[in-house]
Amino acid sequence: MSFPILSLLILTPLIGALTLSLSNSAQLKNKTIFASGLWITTGEFLLSLLLPIFYDKSQNGYQFTEFHTWFDKFDINYYLGVDGVSIPLILLTTFLVPICLLCSWNSIQNRVKEFVIYFLLLESFIIGVFVSIDIVIFYVFFEAVLIPMFLIIGIWGGENRLYATFKFFLYTLAGSVLMLLAIIYIISITNTGNIEVISKFVFAENIQLILFLCFFASFAVKVPMFPFHTWLPDAHVQAPTSGSVILAGVLLKLGAYGFMRLSIPFFEFASYYFQPLIFSLSCIAIVYTSIVALRQTDMKKMIAYSSVAHMGFVTIGIFTLTQDGMNGAYFQMISHGIVSAALFLIVGVVYERHHTRMIADYSGVTNIMPRYSFFFMVFMLSSVGLPGTSGFVGEFLVIMSTISVSVYLTIFTAVGVILGASYMLLLYKNVNFGDVKADIKKLTDLTNIEIFYFTCLAFLTILLGVYPKLLFDMIDASISIGIL
Amino acid sequence: MIDFYSFAPEIFILALILISITFGILNKGVTITINATGFSLLTIFLIFKGHSLYQNSLYSLNTINLILLSKIILSIGSIVFILLSRRPLKNENLFRYEYILFILFAILGSFVLISSDNFLTAFIGLELQSLSLYLMAAFNTKNLNSNEAGIKYFSLGALSSGFLLFGISMIYFDTASFTFQNLDNFSTISEVGLALVLIALFFKVSAAPFHIWTPDVYEGSPTISTLFFATLPKFASLIFLFRIYHELNIPKIDSLHYIFQIVCAISLLVGVYGAITQKIIKRLLAFSSINHIGFMLLAIMSYQYMSEGTIFFYLIIYLITTFGVFSVILNLRTSEGEITLLTGLNGLKASSRSKAISMLVFLFSLAGIPPFAGFFAKFFILSASINEGFYVLSVIAVISSVIAAFYYLSVIKNMFFNESETELLLDNNKLSSFIFISSAIIITLFFFYPDPLINLVDSLFK
Repeated sequence: MSFPILSLLILTPLIGALTLSLSNSAQLKNKTIFASGLWITTGEFLLSLLLPIFYDKSQNGYQFTEFHTWFDKFDINYYLGVDGVSIPLILLTTFLVPICLLCSWNSIQNRVKEFVIYFLLLESFIIGVFVSIDIVIFYVFFEAVLIPMFLIIGIWGGENRLYATFKFFLYTLAGSVLMLLAIIYIISITNTGNIEVISKFVFAENIQLILFLCFFASFAVKVPMFPFHTWLPDAHVQAPTSGSVILAGVLLKLGAYGFMRLSIPFFEFASYYFQPLIFSLSCIAIVYTSIVALRQTDMKKMIAYSSVAHMGFVTIGIFTLTQDGMNGAYFQMISHGIVSAALFLIVGVVYERHHTRMIADYSGVTNIMPRYSFFFMVFMLSSVGLPGTSGFVGEFLVIMSTISVSVYLTIFTAVGVILGASYMLLLYKNVNFGDVKADIKKLTDLTNIEIFYFTCLAFLTILLGVYPKLLFDMIDASISIGIL
Repeated sequence: MIDFYSFAPEIFILALILISITFGILNKGVTITINATGFSLLTIFLIFKGHSLYQNSLYSLNTINLILLSKIILSIGSIVFILLSRRPLKNENLFRYEYILFILFAILGSFVLISSDNFLTAFIGLELQSLSLYLMAAFNTKNLNSNEAGIKYFSLGALSSGFLLFGISMIYFDTASFTFQNLDNFSTISEVGLALVLIALFFKVSAAPFHIWTPDVYEGSPTISTLFFATLPKFASLIFLFRIYHELNIPKIDSLHYIFQIVCAISLLVGVYGAITQKIIKRLLAFSSINHIGFMLLAIMSYQYMSEGTIFFYLIIYLITTFGVFSVILNLRTSEGEITLLTGLNGLKASSRSKAISMLVFLFSLAGIPPFAGFFAKFFILSASINEGFYVLSVIAVISSVIAAFYYLSVIKNMFFNESETELLLDNNKLSSFIFISSAIIITLFFFYPDPLINLVDSLFK
């Protein structure tokens, strides 16, 4: 196809950001800026819907490819393309960004123009990561994502935002530079940056191990896996609601995507070699962070820890290196992207009204905000993994695939599911039931905008839970090539 | 017969110096326009007729290209610097004709240094350059810090010149020659002599552990002089270091090669370690430049693999960024004078959007975060060094750049997250605005269209 849809997807937000930044801010009202950002991102979403429509599921390999020479001197090119693995993540991104802007409509009042610009840049860079099939351009976008996120947390975050945003930036950068060295080494051996070509190249076994660990450093921080997860709760607690939504919804998936797209195809031997390490770390992540989550008093922190646990399922699933495990892991990624984003929105709603995130400050919310409690319940149950919601399918497949590897692994992951249910139910109970506190009574129920985006998210969760084939049709073929 | 044509550029600069002296003595004002025009003509001449200069020389084509490109960059840099210096000098009441003379002498020294083929002319060039720099550091005679900086720079610089001379005399004692081409097989005495020469050069480019003067001199000198120290003379000394390294085949001499590697590693680490706790902008930039010198030494060492291109590319990006950063800083003043502390940048985003965003671009580029050009500069250096097998140094380099990100981010934090405490007087000088905005645009656009710059650098090293 000659129509450069992928470049267009990258450029639309970029050009939007540029136009906004050149416009005269004094004359624009905040609402106008938000509305224009919303138009741009909605347009982007509609544009990205063309991808699944025109994507040929029967064919393997990358489609909609675009190739432009970037450096004459090296075989490093502007080479874009998507397959079944990237399309759902692109859709998730373009779907969540407008929601981020919507949910900030009232809560962000200062420096609105910058806010919208950074979100547009962020969207452009994230899509860049998902569509690039050249390793250097992948890295460029992967790193560039940090810049707008650093500013979003640092400018609009909570009291301790500087600490959180520095920690976020430096942790991720420290992991990434090791990957950079590995990438440079790979290019110096294979003389190309093309991911497809590198995937076919077989590295010597001892070199594979080192290179794998370099990539692992980067992706494990991003996912995040135990013990590299400590930046996540800080970043989530301090970030504004919209920042948390995009962080939990999409940024964490970059790490898992990196594992699927780069680590496993490049380093077959090392992937099997390090299986036990990754399983153990993931098991610790699932059980340990679930227990930590049980004891949290801050809602956002609790959901942040639950994110680590859920991403533990993803890494286990990916590294079972079986079709079921990968499918399950991927499904869990998308489901977690929707559900955790929704849960952060849920916290954001009450935080905006009551200005506290402490669980103890809430009680009996269901009497005052019934609609809110309803949506809270849908997402809580999906996070727990109730059949019929999207959370179930992924967890089920992952647990099923672990049996082929080790029964102990199955036991640990299953324990994680139970712990997950216990802290989420506890959270729901403490916030929504019980006596109505005096200062809860002044809260108002969801506005129309909020109902609108919660309905979208809830619809998606249930749709994927009831009809998972929708997603599997898309990813099956692509994942089966990825498997060795 | 002496072939005068081959050093026409140097004679031309000497003529400019004489003209400036005449004008200065006759009190006809400061000769900024004349010199800027002169250097523009020189640039045009070098670009179009440069190769004719070296028709009769014994240099290889590669060396000639290297020398020519360096001279072109130096003279373009001089144009920018001479034009840029007018406003800051006036602000500090330092607008006197001698300053331009010092610039010209330093550039003349750099020209001689770059194209010298023996140690003696190199020494003359280096001294000519350094003496002008000492004077530029102490140019603000009424300011104690500036005097201190000048004295410090001079005494330590004199020490390093002593090293240089001693080293040269040892080499002469051993080989009875000053010329690079004649130095093929080394005895131990020559090795020691060469080590002393290298130490003097490391001092000039402020590589650690010979960097002690850098923060103090950067801080004390007038800011415009600091900009000069950080860019053009350092550039010339690095190019000379590059030539020595390759023409004397240092990689083959194990001991010297180790010295190089150790200095590189220490520079990378000392630069970032020293910068973390700094509260003064110029000291921070001083340490950050030490870190960048570490990268450049790494580039010099890993030369076989497209390397002249690599080091030039890094240097060009570094020069552009440094000019950008300083032209932003020179533009910011409070009622009490220049801003010195990092907290002086607080709230820059609110008071001047274009300056803050340009600074953001420069700092992320210095930190090597994509998609800015600084990332690619580091990327190429790391490619070369990994190809050459310098794995440990590469790891040190990337770790240092992570630590470096911390202090660059702190500056960004001051500009974007903090509220300003004092009113900034924005000195909206059109020229320096033009410089920092165009630098920021070059650094950003490189990502989209890298080939022109790379091919330019490349075409000279076919």
